[in-house]
Amino acid sequence: MIPATTGRLERWLGKVLTWGTITSTLLLAAGLVLQLAGVNHGLAANLTHVGLVILMATPVARVVVSVVEYALGRDWLFVTLTSGVLVILIGSLMVATLRI
Amino acid sequence: MVPELSLLLTLVLFAAGTAAGIVGALLGLGGGVFLVPFLVLALHVPMRLAVGISLTTVIATSSVVSSGRMGGSLVNLRLGMVLEVATTAGGLTGGLVAAMLSATTLQRMFGVVAVLSALAMLGRLERRNVLLDPEADPGRLGGRYYEEESGAVVTYAVKRVPLAMGVSFVAGSVSSLLGVGGGILKVPALNAWCGVPLRAAAATSAFMIGVTATAGAVIYYGRGEIVAWMAASTVLGVLAGSRAGFALAARARAKWLKLLLVAILLAVGALMLTRSR
Repeated sequence: MIPATTGRLERWLGKVLTWGTITSTLLLAAGLVLQLAGVNHGLAANLTHVGLVILMATPVARVVVSVVEYALGRDWLFVTLTSGVLVILIGSLMVATLRI
Repeated sequence: MVPELSLLLTLVLFAAGTAAGIVGALLGLGGGVFLVPFLVLALHVPMRLAVGISLTTVIATSSVVSSGRMGGSLVNLRLGMVLEVATTAGGLTGGLVAAMLSATTLQRMFGVVAVLSALAMLGRLERRNVLLDPEADPGRLGGRYYEEESGAVVTYAVKRVPLAMGVSFVAGSVSSLLGVGGGILKVPALNAWCGVPLRAAAATSAFMIGVTATAGAVIYYGRGEIVAWMAASTVLGVLAGSRAGFALAARARAKWLKLLLVAILLAVGALMLTRSR
Protein backbone atom coordinates (compact mmCIF):
# COMPACT_ATOMS: atom_id res chain seq x y z
CA MET A 1 0.00 0.00 0.00
CA ILE A 2 2.24 2.74 -1.29
CA PRO A 3 -0.06 5.74 -2.07
CA ALA A 4 -0.48 7.16 -5.58
CA THR A 5 0.26 10.78 -4.55
CA THR A 6 3.89 9.76 -4.08
CA GLY A 7 4.62 9.77 -7.85
CA ARG A 8 3.54 13.36 -8.42
CA LEU A 9 5.15 14.53 -5.19
CA GLU A 10 8.45 12.94 -6.24
CA ARG A 11 8.38 14.73 -9.60
CA TRP A 12 7.79 18.08 -7.88
CA LEU A 13 10.49 17.47 -5.29
CA GLY A 14 12.90 16.51 -8.06
CA LYS A 15 12.22 19.79 -9.89
CA VAL A 16 12.63 21.93 -6.77
CA LEU A 17 15.88 20.22 -5.81
CA THR A 18 17.28 20.36 -9.35
CA TRP A 19 16.52 24.04 -9.95
CA GLY A 20 17.59 25.09 -6.46
CA THR A 21 20.92 23.34 -6.95
CA ILE A 22 21.47 24.77 -10.46
CA THR A 23 20.64 28.35 -9.43
CA SER A 24 22.78 28.31 -6.29
CA THR A 25 25.69 26.62 -8.10
CA LEU A 26 25.73 29.28 -10.83
CA LEU A 27 25.56 32.13 -8.31
CA LEU A 28 28.26 30.63 -6.07
CA ALA A 29 30.55 30.04 -9.06
CA ALA A 30 29.96 33.52 -10.52
CA GLY A 31 30.49 35.23 -7.14
CA LEU A 32 33.65 33.26 -6.44
CA VAL A 33 35.20 33.85 -9.86
CA LEU A 34 34.46 37.60 -9.66
CA GLN A 35 35.97 37.79 -6.17
CA LEU A 36 39.09 35.93 -7.29
CA ALA A 37 39.34 38.21 -10.33
CA GLY A 38 39.58 41.07 -7.87
CA VAL A 39 36.23 42.67 -8.63
CA ASN A 40 36.07 44.86 -5.59
CA HIS A 41 32.58 46.24 -5.28
CA GLY A 42 29.92 44.45 -3.28
CA LEU A 43 28.40 42.60 -6.25
CA ALA A 44 30.81 39.65 -6.19
CA ALA A 45 30.44 38.97 -2.47
CA ASN A 46 26.70 39.53 -2.67
CA LEU A 47 26.32 36.95 -5.46
CA THR A 48 28.05 34.38 -3.23
CA HIS A 49 25.75 35.24 -0.33
CA VAL A 50 22.61 35.02 -2.48
CA GLY A 51 23.91 31.65 -3.75
CA LEU A 52 24.23 30.42 -0.16
CA VAL A 53 20.77 31.69 0.76
CA ILE A 54 19.22 29.88 -2.25
CA LEU A 55 21.17 26.75 -1.29
CA MET A 56 19.61 26.87 2.20
CA ALA A 57 16.17 27.81 0.83
CA THR A 58 16.03 24.75 -1.45
CA PRO A 59 15.27 22.15 1.25
CA VAL A 60 12.79 24.59 2.81
CA ALA A 61 11.03 24.93 -0.56
CA ARG A 62 10.79 21.18 -0.92
CA VAL A 63 9.16 20.94 2.53
CA VAL A 64 6.60 23.57 1.42
CA VAL A 65 5.90 21.53 -1.74
CA SER A 66 5.40 18.42 0.41
CA VAL A 67 2.90 20.19 2.66
CA VAL A 68 0.90 21.35 -0.39
CA GLU A 69 0.99 17.95 -2.14
CA TYR A 70 -0.10 16.03 0.96
CA ALA A 71 -2.88 18.58 1.54
CA LEU A 72 -4.11 18.09 -2.04
CA GLY A 73 -4.06 14.33 -1.41
CA ARG A 74 -5.94 14.86 1.89
CA ASP A 75 -3.27 12.94 3.76
CA TRP A 76 -3.69 14.86 7.00
CA LEU A 77 -1.18 12.90 9.04
CA PHE A 78 1.55 13.84 6.57
CA VAL A 79 0.28 17.41 6.27
CA THR A 80 0.78 17.65 10.04
CA LEU A 81 4.23 16.05 9.97
CA THR A 82 5.58 18.18 7.11
CA SER A 83 4.04 21.35 8.62
CA GLY A 84 5.85 20.46 11.84
CA VAL A 85 9.14 20.41 9.95
CA LEU A 86 8.30 23.79 8.43
CA VAL A 87 7.55 25.28 11.87
CA ILE A 88 10.92 24.04 13.16
CA LEU A 89 12.71 25.59 10.17
CA ILE A 90 10.94 28.90 10.85
CA GLY A 91 12.16 28.52 14.45
CA SER A 92 15.76 28.26 13.16
CA LEU A 93 15.25 31.33 11.04
CA MET A 94 13.97 33.24 14.07
CA VAL A 95 16.98 32.15 16.14
CA ALA A 96 19.22 33.35 13.30
CA THR A 97 17.55 36.74 12.81
CA LEU A 98 17.11 37.47 16.51
CA ARG A 99 20.72 36.26 17.15
CA ILE A 100 19.77 34.21 20.20
CA MET B 1 40.75 34.15 12.57
CA VAL B 2 39.19 33.89 9.13
CA PRO B 3 41.61 32.92 6.32
CA GLU B 4 42.13 35.53 3.55
CA LEU B 5 40.62 34.88 0.13
CA SER B 6 43.27 33.31 -2.13
CA LEU B 7 43.34 31.27 -5.33
CA LEU B 8 45.40 28.54 -3.66
CA LEU B 9 43.05 28.08 -0.72
CA THR B 10 40.05 28.19 -3.08
CA LEU B 11 41.56 25.33 -5.09
CA VAL B 12 42.46 23.33 -1.98
CA LEU B 13 38.90 23.73 -0.65
CA PHE B 14 37.48 22.76 -4.07
CA ALA B 15 39.64 19.61 -4.15
CA ALA B 16 38.73 18.67 -0.57
CA GLY B 17 35.09 19.19 -1.43
CA THR B 18 35.37 16.98 -4.51
CA ALA B 19 36.93 14.12 -2.52
CA ALA B 20 34.34 14.48 0.26
CA GLY B 21 31.56 14.61 -2.34
CA ILE B 22 32.59 11.37 -4.03
CA VAL B 23 32.86 9.36 -0.82
CA GLY B 24 29.89 11.09 0.78
CA ALA B 25 27.53 10.32 -2.09
CA LEU B 26 28.81 6.75 -2.19
CA LEU B 27 28.04 6.23 1.48
CA GLY B 28 25.01 8.48 1.96
CA LEU B 29 26.90 10.49 4.54
CA GLY B 30 27.07 13.97 3.06
CA GLY B 31 30.85 14.07 3.20
CA GLY B 32 31.07 16.22 6.33
CA VAL B 33 32.64 13.40 8.27
CA PHE B 34 35.77 13.76 6.12
CA LEU B 35 35.59 17.47 5.42
CA VAL B 36 35.48 18.79 9.00
CA PRO B 37 38.59 16.84 10.13
CA PHE B 38 40.45 17.93 6.97
CA LEU B 39 39.58 21.61 7.48
CA VAL B 40 40.43 21.52 11.18
CA LEU B 41 43.50 19.26 11.21
CA ALA B 42 45.14 20.07 7.86
CA LEU B 43 44.08 23.66 7.15
CA HIS B 44 43.70 24.84 10.79
CA VAL B 45 40.29 26.35 10.10
CA PRO B 46 38.56 27.09 13.45
CA MET B 47 36.16 24.24 14.37
CA ARG B 48 33.01 26.40 14.27
CA LEU B 49 33.79 27.80 10.79
CA ALA B 50 34.61 24.28 9.58
CA VAL B 51 31.22 23.10 10.85
CA GLY B 52 29.50 26.03 9.10
CA ILE B 53 31.19 25.27 5.76
CA SER B 54 30.48 21.58 6.12
CA LEU B 55 26.77 22.16 6.80
CA THR B 56 26.41 24.02 3.49
CA THR B 57 28.07 21.13 1.65
CA VAL B 58 25.74 18.68 3.39
CA ILE B 59 22.76 20.64 2.01
CA ALA B 60 24.26 20.70 -1.49
CA THR B 61 25.02 16.97 -1.46
CA SER B 62 21.53 16.13 -0.26
CA SER B 63 19.84 18.27 -2.92
CA VAL B 64 21.94 17.02 -5.83
CA VAL B 65 21.91 13.35 -4.86
CA SER B 66 18.18 13.32 -4.04
CA SER B 67 17.16 15.22 -7.19
CA GLY B 68 18.80 12.43 -9.21
CA ARG B 69 17.01 9.76 -7.22
CA MET B 70 13.47 11.18 -7.29
CA GLY B 71 11.19 8.93 -9.31
CA GLY B 72 13.16 5.83 -8.35
CA SER B 73 11.85 4.14 -5.24
CA LEU B 74 15.06 3.94 -3.25
CA VAL B 75 14.28 7.06 -1.23
CA ASN B 76 11.52 6.18 1.22
CA LEU B 77 9.68 9.53 1.20
CA ARG B 78 7.10 8.74 3.86
CA LEU B 79 9.67 7.38 6.31
CA GLY B 80 11.85 10.41 5.50
CA MET B 81 9.04 12.88 6.22
CA VAL B 82 8.31 11.20 9.57
CA LEU B 83 11.93 11.16 10.68
CA GLU B 84 12.58 14.73 9.47
CA VAL B 85 10.39 16.06 12.26
CA ALA B 86 12.92 14.60 14.68
CA THR B 87 16.08 15.46 12.69
CA THR B 88 15.13 19.14 12.20
CA ALA B 89 14.11 19.50 15.87
CA GLY B 90 17.53 18.06 16.71
CA GLY B 91 19.16 20.40 14.20
CA LEU B 92 17.60 23.45 15.82
CA THR B 93 18.61 22.22 19.30
CA GLY B 94 22.17 21.47 18.20
CA GLY B 95 22.50 24.89 16.59
CA LEU B 96 21.56 26.52 19.89
CA VAL B 97 23.80 24.29 22.02
CA ALA B 98 26.84 24.65 19.71
CA ALA B 99 27.32 28.23 20.86
CA MET B 100 27.75 27.06 24.46
CA LEU B 101 30.43 24.43 23.83
CA SER B 102 34.17 24.97 23.28
CA ALA B 103 35.86 23.96 20.02
CA THR B 104 37.86 21.28 21.86
CA THR B 105 34.69 19.72 23.27
CA LEU B 106 33.10 19.72 19.82
CA GLN B 107 36.19 18.13 18.29
CA ARG B 108 36.28 15.37 20.92
CA MET B 109 32.54 14.75 20.42
CA PHE B 110 33.26 14.38 16.71
CA GLY B 111 35.90 11.72 17.46
CA VAL B 112 33.61 9.77 19.79
CA VAL B 113 30.66 9.85 17.37
CA ALA B 114 32.83 8.64 14.49
CA VAL B 115 34.34 5.73 16.46
CA LEU B 116 30.99 4.65 17.97
CA SER B 117 29.27 4.57 14.58
CA ALA B 118 32.13 2.52 13.14
CA LEU B 119 31.84 -0.03 15.94
CA ALA B 120 28.06 -0.26 15.60
CA MET B 121 28.49 -0.89 11.90
CA LEU B 122 31.19 -3.52 12.33
CA GLY B 123 28.91 -5.79 14.37
CA ARG B 124 26.29 -5.96 11.62
CA LEU B 125 28.34 -6.65 8.51
CA GLU B 126 26.67 -9.87 7.37
CA ARG B 127 23.05 -9.08 8.20
CA ARG B 128 20.50 -8.63 5.48
CA ASN B 129 17.04 -7.76 6.72
CA VAL B 130 14.99 -8.05 3.58
CA LEU B 131 11.58 -9.63 3.24
CA LEU B 132 12.23 -11.97 0.35
CA ASP B 133 8.60 -12.29 -0.79
CA PRO B 134 8.14 -9.28 -3.11
CA GLU B 135 4.37 -9.38 -2.51
CA ALA B 136 4.82 -8.97 1.27
CA ASP B 137 3.04 -5.98 2.82
CA PRO B 138 5.60 -3.22 3.53
CA GLY B 139 3.11 -1.55 5.90
CA ARG B 140 2.46 2.18 6.19
CA LEU B 141 6.08 3.25 6.21
CA GLY B 142 7.91 0.44 4.47
CA GLY B 143 9.11 0.43 0.90
CA ARG B 144 9.84 -1.60 -2.17
CA TYR B 145 12.61 -1.08 -4.73
CA TYR B 146 14.38 -2.86 -7.51
CA GLU B 147 17.93 -3.82 -6.59
CA GLU B 148 20.23 -4.06 -9.60
CA GLU B 149 22.96 -6.13 -8.02
CA SER B 150 20.67 -9.04 -7.10
CA GLY B 151 18.18 -8.36 -9.93
CA ALA B 152 15.29 -8.63 -7.49
CA VAL B 153 12.54 -6.49 -6.02
CA VAL B 154 13.35 -5.84 -2.39
CA THR B 155 10.44 -5.30 0.01
CA TYR B 156 10.84 -4.21 3.60
CA ALA B 157 8.74 -3.08 6.55
CA VAL B 158 9.97 -0.53 9.08
CA LYS B 159 10.26 -1.71 12.67
CA ARG B 160 10.72 0.30 15.90
CA VAL B 161 9.65 3.72 14.56
CA PRO B 162 9.95 5.46 17.98
CA LEU B 163 13.56 4.26 18.21
CA ALA B 164 14.22 5.59 14.69
CA MET B 165 12.74 8.94 15.78
CA GLY B 166 15.00 9.06 18.84
CA VAL B 167 18.12 8.28 16.81
CA SER B 168 17.03 10.87 14.23
CA PHE B 169 16.75 13.57 16.88
CA VAL B 170 20.25 12.78 18.14
CA ALA B 171 21.51 12.66 14.54
CA GLY B 172 20.00 16.08 13.87
CA SER B 173 21.66 17.59 16.98
CA VAL B 174 24.98 16.02 16.07
CA SER B 175 24.57 17.39 12.54
CA SER B 176 24.35 20.98 13.77
CA LEU B 177 27.04 20.54 16.43
CA LEU B 178 29.60 18.78 14.25
CA GLY B 179 28.73 19.66 10.65
CA VAL B 180 27.99 16.13 9.54
CA GLY B 181 24.82 14.99 7.82
CA GLY B 182 23.86 12.69 10.64
CA GLY B 183 23.71 9.75 8.25
CA ILE B 184 26.68 8.55 10.28
CA LEU B 185 24.15 7.62 13.01
CA LYS B 186 20.89 7.14 11.10
CA VAL B 187 22.10 4.75 8.39
CA PRO B 188 23.53 2.12 10.78
CA ALA B 189 20.52 2.47 13.13
CA LEU B 190 17.88 2.19 10.38
CA ASN B 191 19.76 -0.71 8.86
CA ALA B 192 20.53 -2.65 12.04
CA TRP B 193 17.49 -1.96 14.23
CA CYS B 194 14.62 -0.85 12.02
CA GLY B 195 14.69 -3.32 9.15
CA VAL B 196 15.57 -0.85 6.39
CA PRO B 197 18.01 -2.26 3.78
CA LEU B 198 21.34 -0.42 3.71
CA ARG B 199 20.83 1.12 0.29
CA ALA B 200 17.33 2.43 1.08
CA ALA B 201 18.54 3.66 4.49
CA ALA B 202 21.43 5.55 2.85
CA ALA B 203 19.20 7.07 0.13
CA THR B 204 16.50 8.11 2.61
CA SER B 205 19.14 9.56 4.93
CA ALA B 206 20.73 11.50 2.04
CA PHE B 207 17.28 12.90 1.32
CA MET B 208 16.76 14.00 4.96
CA ILE B 209 20.17 15.53 5.68
CA GLY B 210 19.52 18.58 3.48
CA VAL B 211 16.61 19.84 5.53
CA THR B 212 18.35 18.73 8.74
CA ALA B 213 21.55 20.65 7.95
CA THR B 214 19.47 23.67 6.93
CA ALA B 215 17.98 23.87 10.45
CA GLY B 216 21.55 24.27 11.76
CA ALA B 217 23.15 26.15 8.84
CA VAL B 218 20.65 29.00 9.07
CA ILE B 219 21.73 29.57 12.69
CA TYR B 220 25.46 29.49 11.82
CA TYR B 221 24.82 31.85 8.92
CA GLY B 222 22.98 34.26 11.21
CA ARG B 223 25.97 34.25 13.56
CA GLY B 224 28.36 35.02 10.70
CA GLU B 225 30.05 31.63 11.08
CA ILE B 226 29.68 30.65 7.41
CA VAL B 227 32.47 32.33 5.42
CA ALA B 228 30.81 32.76 2.03
CA TRP B 229 33.81 32.34 -0.32
CA MET B 230 35.11 29.30 1.61
CA ALA B 231 31.68 27.69 1.61
CA ALA B 232 31.28 28.47 -2.11
CA SER B 233 34.65 26.86 -3.01
CA THR B 234 33.91 23.74 -1.00
CA VAL B 235 30.29 23.41 -2.12
CA LEU B 236 31.29 23.61 -5.80
CA GLY B 237 33.80 20.83 -5.20
CA VAL B 238 31.26 18.71 -3.37
CA LEU B 239 28.71 19.16 -6.18
CA ALA B 240 31.24 17.93 -8.76
CA GLY B 241 32.31 15.06 -6.50
CA SER B 242 28.86 13.87 -5.55
CA ARG B 243 27.88 13.58 -9.24
CA ALA B 244 30.76 11.14 -9.65
CA GLY B 245 29.94 9.37 -6.38
CA PHE B 246 26.30 9.01 -7.37
CA ALA B 247 27.31 7.30 -10.63
CA LEU B 248 29.62 4.95 -8.72
CA ALA B 249 27.12 4.15 -5.95
CA ALA B 250 24.81 2.18 -8.23
CA ARG B 251 27.63 -0.22 -9.02
CA ALA B 252 29.25 -0.57 -5.60
CA ARG B 253 28.53 -3.58 -3.40
CA ALA B 254 26.80 -3.22 -0.03
CA LYS B 255 29.42 -5.16 1.94
CA TRP B 256 32.27 -3.20 0.38
CA LEU B 257 30.44 0.01 1.23
CA LYS B 258 30.07 -1.03 4.86
CA LEU B 259 33.72 -2.03 5.22
CA LEU B 260 34.93 1.22 3.68
CA LEU B 261 32.64 3.16 6.00
CA VAL B 262 34.00 1.37 9.08
CA ALA B 263 37.65 1.90 8.14
CA ILE B 264 37.21 5.59 7.40
CA LEU B 265 35.18 6.29 10.52
CA LEU B 266 37.76 4.65 12.78
CA ALA B 267 40.64 6.61 11.28
CA VAL B 268 38.81 9.93 11.38
CA GLY B 269 37.58 9.37 14.94
CA ALA B 270 41.05 8.52 16.23
CA LEU B 271 42.55 11.61 14.59
CA MET B 272 39.94 13.97 15.97
CA LEU B 273 40.34 12.54 19.48
CA THR B 274 44.14 12.59 19.58
CA ARG B 275 44.70 15.89 17.78
CA SER B 276 42.19 18.00 19.71
CA ARG B 277 43.77 20.95 21.48
